[in-house]
Amino acid sequence: MNELLSAALDAATSSGASYADVRGVESRVESLGVKGPTVESLDRFDSLGFGVRVLVDGAWGYACSAELDSTEAVSIARAAVDIARASATAMTVPAELAPEPVHRDSWVGPMELDPFAVTLEDKLELLTAATAGMQVSPKIRTTRATMDLLTEKTWFMSSEGSSIDQTFVQSAAGIEAVAVGGTEVQQRSYPGSFRGHFASGGYEVVTEMDLVANAEQTGEEAVALLTARPCPATVTSVVLDGHQTMLQVHESVGHPTELDRVLGMEAAFAGTSFVGIPDLGSLRYGSELVNINSDATIPGGLGSYGYDDEGVAAQRVDLVKEGILVGFQTSRETAAKIGADRSNGTMRAEGWENFPLIRMPNINLLPGAGSFEDLLADVTEGIYMATNKSWSIDDKRLNFQFGCEIAWEIKHGRLGRMLKDPRYTGITPAFWGSCDAIAGPEEWKVWGTPNCGKGQPGQTMRVGHGTSPARFRSVSTGMTS
Amino acid sequence: MSTGEPPLTAEAARRAAQAVLDVPGADDVEVLVSASATGVTRFANSQIIQNIVRKEVRAYVRVAVGDRIASSGTNQLDAEHMNDAAARALEAASATRGDADFPGFARPDRDGRAQAVGRWDDATAAASPARRAEAVNQILGASNSANAAGTYETSSFAFGVFSSTGIDCFDAYTRCATTCLVDNGESTGWGDGSSHAMGEVDVEAAARRAARKAEASKSPRSAAPGTYEVVLEPAATGTIVEYLSYAGFGAKQVLEDESFLARHTGEEVGAPSISILDDVWHPQSVGIGFDFEGVPRKRVAVIEKGRARGPVSDLRTARQMGVEATGHGSRSNELGPYAANVVLEAGDKNLEALIEGVSHGFLVTRFHYVNILDRPATLLTGMTRDGTFAVEDGVITGAVRNFRFAQNVLSALASVQGVGQDLVSLAPEFGGFGSTVAPSLHLGEFDFVSTTSH
Repeated sequence: MNELLSAALDAATSSGASYADVRGVESRVESLGVKGPTVESLDRFDSLGFGVRVLVDGAWGYACSAELDSTEAVSIARAAVDIARASATAMTVPAELAPEPVHRDSWVGPMELDPFAVTLEDKLELLTAATAGMQVSPKIRTTRATMDLLTEKTWFMSSEGSSIDQTFVQSAAGIEAVAVGGTEVQQRSYPGSFRGHFASGGYEVVTEMDLVANAEQTGEEAVALLTARPCPATVTSVVLDGHQTMLQVHESVGHPTELDRVLGMEAAFAGTSFVGIPDLGSLRYGSELVNINSDATIPGGLGSYGYDDEGVAAQRVDLVKEGILVGFQTSRETAAKIGADRSNGTMRAEGWENFPLIRMPNINLLPGAGSFEDLLADVTEGIYMATNKSWSIDDKRLNFQFGCEIAWEIKHGRLGRMLKDPRYTGITPAFWGSCDAIAGPEEWKVWGTPNCGKGQPGQTMRVGHGTSPARFRSVSTGMTS
Repeated sequence: MSTGEPPLTAEAARRAAQAVLDVPGADDVEVLVSASATGVTRFANSQIIQNIVRKEVRAYVRVAVGDRIASSGTNQLDAEHMNDAAARALEAASATRGDADFPGFARPDRDGRAQAVGRWDDATAAASPARRAEAVNQILGASNSANAAGTYETSSFAFGVFSSTGIDCFDAYTRCATTCLVDNGESTGWGDGSSHAMGEVDVEAAARRAARKAEASKSPRSAAPGTYEVVLEPAATGTIVEYLSYAGFGAKQVLEDESFLARHTGEEVGAPSISILDDVWHPQSVGIGFDFEGVPRKRVAVIEKGRARGPVSDLRTARQMGVEATGHGSRSNELGPYAANVVLEAGDKNLEALIEGVSHGFLVTRFHYVNILDRPATLLTGMTRDGTFAVEDGVITGAVRNFRFAQNVLSALASVQGVGQDLVSLAPEFGGFGSTVAPSLHLGEFDFVSTTSH
């Protein structure tokens, strides 16, 4: 691969690129799905290809191919240069890149047990046992267990001299029960919705979830939701579990602090941000308890890496400190636009096929103090919501409405009756401003979500979020604000 | 990309498949081959910011050993990689238990022989980066804005399905799509266009429309949430019907009791003026003439003159329901069959006439970040954006700040007061497969539940 990438790099620079980088990506995925006792899907996919990104006269071009020979490499590099020259015909401000040291390195992510060395029989047996465990009632209509495994090797070379290879292994699993009673349909999942929990690591990530031991409760809660009272529409104290806090961080802090969005570069598709450059250092984003960072260095985080896809070393930077906006997620181009010394390394692309974009690595709400029970203890009357089910937020990331799978009343510091269809709505800074407690390190976990969408053509990215349960006051529950 | 040829010829796709159709150890083999040549030029802040050309091929080899099924894919079509994929699929199939619901692979004698739709345009397939940049410069000129953002795409796609059971089908299509958002600092406006042929996409008209909308959206006032009459422009209508399709047009959702069709088939669920179909054969649809199992795509009326009819199906769900497959296999048993070419049939009114029919309500240009709150109830939420206007006694009286809606789609369709004649073809928002064809709609009731600051 290095020889091919070198050929592409040489062709790009000799064709007129003032800067060029090339990436090769080889990946293998395995996806298993069991529905009830039946294997619903067993899919594998191998992918191999390379992409060439160039700057010519300050304009970008990108081309890529899965044909791995030096002739194609040269052809693709020249095509990228031609594309950049076309881009230059509609350019007013040339792209400049913030400096980055040259890196020559290999990085390998964590893995204890190779997930591809575990037999399919063992994987399917685990998933089938989990679906059987959820079948606690005739009202359980569907049980499903899934497993997603990825190994990926990447190569990066730049015209500045960097040469980096990285190896990733990521594993995921989850279970879901759907119960039906009359016209009512309710679902419950573990450890999280939308195919469960994803993390960097080997098969140990799967076994640590203990899917089978959690199956019965998952099924029972799905059935119980059928007869639970609807979550009331009111204004009250709300405690969110770690999974829903992950979604809250993702949508209302992660995306609004992507500097490309702030600068309008995603305006037509995903939208912009309520945050502006002048807000840095002064905007009150949340209460003084709210500390949020971007950290690509967490061992096991789904958004962890050694270097981003423009060869910038992984970093940990503060985004919100004691409630004040203090940072953005940046690329080399956007860092230069705001006069930063250096990118904080958040440019990633899905596979070899795509142009890198600013993507969240692990965006984390730092833990506060105390246990989950301590969060409840100070609530006379409120609602505890768990496990994300739906999400929607406006094009500036202000007005949001999020829904969870399940909730419970909180009465005088204790959980009470179960509630179905919990939803809450708010405006981002006001909501984070109402945060008056975040559980401590013992409750903190780095969640992973594999389906963050951005860009055109659309790219999905694997991102992480460290969170613990958190408490918010005067929250509007139900549909309306 | 510059030749006007499909990204993969039928012969090349067939050759790749034939390397594994008789692989030893499998009772039957099915190969889906897909290829694309994607050219997307993105602009923002009135300049090109990203510009890509992407060539991809994929082959998915699905093997059956008795009723044990598995699939393995590769993006390398040479015989060595194809055989490796087949071997990995065989290994996986041997690890599974039998699948009692496996319907077998498609057979031409039972399921029919697919015809190509042929939604192909040589000029679109041959468009160069320079041609796309020229289009962007036309957009930027027509927008007359220092802050325009959007895309101009010219792409081509090819699909083939081949099997040891006799399936041999191939189709290819092109797509040209443009979007334009104009931001004047105080408000935004939107315009778009999409077709299989670039000659039918008027980029300057899209840009002028975005500029007009942005200008008209200045100084928005706050309006109280509530239940109102609305006129949805085609982009907004398209989003609603896409999500309705995702929520419940597939037979899998019906079988699992998660679709509105599970309880309302045969009943009136919309006004008589509402017919929603999956119809790749509609002249404005962009797609292929078969599904990913090689079954011919049929025209399926899911809601016909307001009455709920049947879902779209694949071989598996059709067998479970005891019906003939409609040719909507998605290649994913978890997702199930999917309606990728939804068409809401046109009415007889132009947009101005629909607006004139509103006594007290709003005109919505498009929606943002829609999601499903309750699938069986067809309850959606999302935001308006890029041009929301108050309408009083049939006249637009000014811009309003954006609303969040939470709406049961079937209730909205039951309240339809008028259907536009302005059918528009809409490209998938995330760059995926298929298209949506939708007109403007005048709805009698639509629930706005909160507002935002802009």
